Amino acid sequence: MAGKIDEFEFFLEKEWSDGFPVVTPTEERVQWMLKGTRRDSDAVIGRVPPAGEVATVRTIAIHALMAGCKPEYLPVVLGAVELIVREEFNMGGVQCTMHGVAPLMIVNGPYAHKIGLHGGNGCFGPGFRANATIGRAIRLMLLNLGGGIPGLASATVFSSPIRYTACLAENSEYSPWESLAVSRGYSPDDNVISSVMVESPRLHFDDVSTEPERLLRGIADSMTSTGSWHMWFRSGIAVAMSPQHAKLCADAGMSRADTHSRLCELAGRTQGNLKRGGNWRPERARAMDADPDDDNCFIKAVKDPATLQLFVAGGMGPITAVCHGWNDSSRPVHAKYEV
Amino acid sequence: MTSDLGFIDPTASKHRTKIAPAPRSMDLSNKVVGLLDNTKEQGDIILETVGAALRERYGVAKVIMHRKEFFSKPASGELIDAMAQQVQIAIAAVGG
Repeated sequence: MAGKIDEFEFFLEKEWSDGFPVVTPTEERVQWMLKGTRRDSDAVIGRVPPAGEVATVRTIAIHALMAGCKPEYLPVVLGAVELIVREEFNMGGVQCTMHGVAPLMIVNGPYAHKIGLHGGNGCFGPGFRANATIGRAIRLMLLNLGGGIPGLASATVFSSPIRYTACLAENSEYSPWESLAVSRGYSPDDNVISSVMVESPRLHFDDVSTEPERLLRGIADSMTSTGSWHMWFRSGIAVAMSPQHAKLCADAGMSRADTHSRLCELAGRTQGNLKRGGNWRPERARAMDADPDDDNCFIKAVKDPATLQLFVAGGMGPITAVCHGWNDSSRPVHAKYEV
Repeated sequence: MTSDLGFIDPTASKHRTKIAPAPRSMDLSNKVVGLLDNTKEQGDIILETVGAALRERYGVAKVIMHRKEFFSKPASGELIDAMAQQVQIAIAAVGG
């Protein structure tokens, strides 16, 4: 402890605290963290909206340290910050919205494997340092540098557990398909982050289906609901199939692209169904080029197939995790990061 | 960022600047008021009602409506500059 100030209380009392203790950022520890990158510590990576505080390599390293990262995680954190400050991702809108979505980081490539980013059993939850601390570092920056604090810039009604941390890998060991990044044209050797604004995952159980069509109809149903914002907006959405569910499709001859495209076709509801509750409005129907009086009109959950983030993750078992999305103003983003 | 705390306080960035809000006018008479519609449904109705009340009750000379591109995106620099040129007081609405 330094002097009379209790460093744990000092950080826990900050308005940008996430409510948990942090690793105290001393100069010595920050220098240790900076060993994780060759980049100039004063290099500016971007401004974190809406407050617009500058994120330099050094400030990012400080937040990574506080979050509990190891130096070897720093390249992923740096790459993630570069992605989330992109204009088309509209991090500022998400920082201020009533909604509770967060930027989910899906990390592909050999470096993720090397540093222990987990994509298997329990990957959305606690117990995996790289997943927990890389995502937490991003959140601490969104709070401290961006000011996305409930009661200040953030109007979030509930927020969401996914706002504590949101970073995982694919289960490449057990996936029957190429990775999400490779499906976008990257090489398997590229280190890539894909990010999309989504809610916490909901779990779709199907221990019954023995062929893809029934399985995918069920998953598609979980991708829709009357109160989901993405039903009326061109939003990103994430679907993480367990290896077992993915294998069921692959064994029937379906490629990753086939599965992606079938989910886009199936996920939706008739307008009459969506009118029963939730956020249907005639203006929103017209914005989707739907006649508000046509109850049989099929409203797709995925308006643009490029915004569906389909990947394979999780452990063995008959479950797919579905993360609902937000709105038109945030486009999913992806890029290689420097290691 | 370093201090006599013995550790780093990352709140105290050298890049952080404080921007004072523009002075608030206490008199609306003969002023030009800009209303910014965020595009959410019914936001325009609220603003039109506010605009009419400002003219009738407070002697506002003119009300100019503007509209953002999309409700969850910030207003563009061009739009903010245009409003700053045209109006003396600006009011934003959240519809929905």
